[in-house]
Amino acid sequence: MSTVTTPSREIADLIGRCALRDRAAFRTLYDRTSAKLFGVTLRILKDRSEAEEAIQEVYVKIWQRADRYVAGNTSPISWLVAVARNHALDLLRARRPVSDDIDVALEVPDGGPSPERAAQDSEEKGQIEKCLGTLEPDRADAVRGAYLDGYSYEELASRYTVPLNTMRTWLRRSLIKLKECLTA
Amino acid sequence: MSTSDDIGDFGGRNALVAEYVLGLLSTSEHQRVGALIENDQSLRNERDFWISRFASLNDEFAETAVPAHLYPRIAARVFGEQPKASFWENLMLWRSIAAGALAVAVAAVGFNLIQPVPDANALATQLVAALQGDGSNVQFVALYDGEGNVRLTSLSGDAVPGSDYELWAIQGGNAPVSMGVIPISERSTVTLSPEVMAGWGAGSVLAISLEPQGGSPTGAPTGPIVATGTATQI
Repeated sequence: MSTVTTPSREIADLIGRCALRDRAAFRTLYDRTSAKLFGVTLRILKDRSEAEEAIQEVYVKIWQRADRYVAGNTSPISWLVAVARNHALDLLRARRPVSDDIDVALEVPDGGPSPERAAQDSEEKGQIEKCLGTLEPDRADAVRGAYLDGYSYEELASRYTVPLNTMRTWLRRSLIKLKECLTA
Repeated sequence: MSTSDDIGDFGGRNALVAEYVLGLLSTSEHQRVGALIENDQSLRNERDFWISRFASLNDEFAETAVPAHLYPRIAARVFGEQPKASFWENLMLWRSIAAGALAVAVAAVGFNLIQPVPDANALATQLVAALQGDGSNVQFVALYDGEGNVRLTSLSGDAVPGSDYELWAIQGGNAPVSMGVIPISERSTVTLSPEVMAGWGAGSVLAISLEPQGGSPTGAPTGPIVATGTATQI
């Protein structure tokens, strides 16, 4: 069975049982979700043997961190994809040359979206597409490339043949616009 | 503050969490921002907001079957080094596995072992147990001679360098009681301690765990349970 046909509730239940060290649940979770997560590692790492290594690490992490999944904040499959995607991105980041740190000061936003709102991803499919559609096509593609292919600012700058700082400016403006659209 | 490139303005702050989620920050920034997010509820909400929103793009990750040979490796890594907590879970699972595959071996070895004792009364107090486990090749037959000794015969299993196999008795709802370290490749006899003897009988469970050399340092199983079996009247 694929993630497309496995109800979210069932995946959440399997993750919960993994947190209780249920081996049979881990196997079922693997059977239901590994094709999707392998798709994630494959697309980002773009190398089959690296993706095979990565998928093993990803499931070790899922077993170890199952108790950290909080139902309601993100859908269970989104959480699993995030674990796989973050692991693949960590690998990419580790093999990139050290770049200049962006001088950033992180302050607490006045009010973040509530968890209830954040949990509505399944009901709001297509909203991100709609909002990406409000950006200039290049910039929407750059955001998609960062998410789906794990492209860095450097890679995006060279793909779109713009200076690095221009790419950063583009992306940040795009993300701010995106947020305005998504929370409108 | 006039350009939105300035990370200090309101929008910039919000873009930073999105940049974090997209993975656009350098390693050191990624770690720093990640730590800040972990410690702040509103930043965590912000992070979850972006994860959820971008998740709508997840359909574009094409499902691809994982080669079948990878799961056993994952299982070995995930289940290979289990903490003590896994003991009961393993036991509950394995207790339910019928000793079917071993039944023939039990009959043969058991019969062989008891031959010197043809006495019917002695037979009534003798017990036999087939010890095996899911995902492990360690198999033992245990025969209780009715006089305080358990004779163990190893049918299969490999010695693990730096580790020893330890035998446990589990009686009723009590914690496992160690019966000592046992050899893997030869017959051995274990004399029941008074503590084990007190609860001993048909239904007592024998379990074998893999422990650091010399046996469990804690007095309770610390390694994976590789075989279990229930003592049954012959």
